[in-house]
Amino acid sequence: MKASRSGPRVGLTLVLAIGALLPLALLVALSVSVEWFYPTLLPGRWSSANWDFLGRGSEVIFSSLWTSVALALCAGVVSSIAGLFAGREIARLDGWRRRLAVALAFLPVAVPPLALSIGLQYSLLRAGLGGRFVGVMVAHIVPALGYTTLFFVGIFAVFDWRVEQEARSLGANPFDVLRRVTLPLLRRPLVEAFALGFLVSWAQVPLTLLIGQGLVNTLPLELMSYVNAGQDHLAATAGLVLTIPPLALLVVAGLAVRRLRVVIA
Amino acid sequence: MRGLLVAILVAGPVLAGIAYSMLGALGVVGPGASGVSLRHLQVVLADSATWWGLLWTVWIALASTLLATILAMGTAVAFRAERGVDRFARLVAVVPLAVPHVVAALGAVLVLSQSGLLARLAFAANLQTSPADMPPLIYDRYGIGLILALSWKEFPFLALIAFSVIARRGALLEETARSLGAGPLQTFRVATLPALWRGLLPSMIAVFTFVAGNYEVAALLAPSSPLALPLLTMERYTDSALDVRGEAFVLVLLAMAVSLCGVAAHEWTANKFEAAE
Repeated sequence: MKASRSGPRVGLTLVLAIGALLPLALLVALSVSVEWFYPTLLPGRWSSANWDFLGRGSEVIFSSLWTSVALALCAGVVSSIAGLFAGREIARLDGWRRRLAVALAFLPVAVPPLALSIGLQYSLLRAGLGGRFVGVMVAHIVPALGYTTLFFVGIFAVFDWRVEQEARSLGANPFDVLRRVTLPLLRRPLVEAFALGFLVSWAQVPLTLLIGQGLVNTLPLELMSYVNAGQDHLAATAGLVLTIPPLALLVVAGLAVRRLRVVIA
Repeated sequence: MRGLLVAILVAGPVLAGIAYSMLGALGVVGPGASGVSLRHLQVVLADSATWWGLLWTVWIALASTLLATILAMGTAVAFRAERGVDRFARLVAVVPLAVPHVVAALGAVLVLSQSGLLARLAFAANLQTSPADMPPLIYDRYGIGLILALSWKEFPFLALIAFSVIARRGALLEETARSLGAGPLQTFRVATLPALWRGLLPSMIAVFTFVAGNYEVAALLAPSSPLALPLLTMERYTDSALDVRGEAFVLVLLAMAVSLCGVAAHEWTANKFEAAE
């Protein structure tokens, strides 16, 4: 009975694996080839030319990659630290105040990015930040902070406040409590919140488009212009580069989860 | 009380943006502002492009959420055991979670376009002789490519939740159903499916809301007619006639209303099912 059932299951697994991985395999194939004309099933000429940008700082794709990395790093750092304090304060509330505060923190996450961009553009442009790296960074931090705040509300909801009280009763001042007790206990969530903020910025399109006004070029925008120009090989290369950090984080998170023996893998 | 203040700070830019969009919709601020009037509102609400865009966006969001849900439930039920093949399948199913939306859209272009991988496979199988023989799956009226790309991207998120629902509650509920005399099909209908539905509904609503508001996937895969709501908003907002730009604010408020309805529905179902657990 077991043998008769494993056949279709292996087939199903194959279908699932192909469905999930084929688009990525296609990106890999395109990024290491330069000619691939319809209707051939495999690229006509393999080449590493699409990756040459890594050695040449002058190319657009190279500078947009670094803009993306810098934006995501800033958004990750700022939103994880600010999110920790915001989440901590909100988690201390109770009743309707807490529900209201959580709903407010939910706004930057729930409002569609394009709507958020149009709403933010006025203030950021008035502040002279339109078309500038700093402006785009501030814009990316808005949704990132929403995510990290909600994340830390969850963390602090199960946080044992008694450790802090204990430290205080032993004579530590609030700064010491933060530095020696709270932060060391929250190292892991802080790293996770950083990753969350990083990824929100990393994949961002509308905020970059409207606040950056075409002057701040990130990798997702570069990818879109490659697609519109029909430059599939470069688009695929940019797409792969964009997928690497989140995939790496997923693997790390997956391993961590496995260590905790939960059910993902 | 300090917590509320902090929350207002976190939401501040969004609240300011909402206020600005409201004032913009009334013609008080923004490009082409000419004093308080309901003109923008009237123009947008009377424009059939608005309602087609909204309807089309809701169709895309609904179809991709449902497709992603069916895939997630199917995967969770089919690969629930602890054998190697099940673990491998659950692992593979999560991969698209890591792919940014804009890359998922690129993948759809490369697989589904008229000279894409699918068309090449059809050629190799002698099913077609030129790209024109391939039915258009991207930029098409029904948004098939868009729906496929979005459900591919969103299904791992729902699958993860479905895996945990089955692992936590599935076995017990199903055993109870079986011990009460239910056959395999009935067990699925009265135990597995309701548990999955309750576990997934809040997240399905979240997916619907995210998908409805997504800009970049629509920008790469949606047709120019009907124009999806985010694309219509962008088009109005960047119109060369300043007066038309004011109409974008009304569309922004419409999109916000859709997503706030989503949030309310999410909270309501989440609370309801939490209470039921």
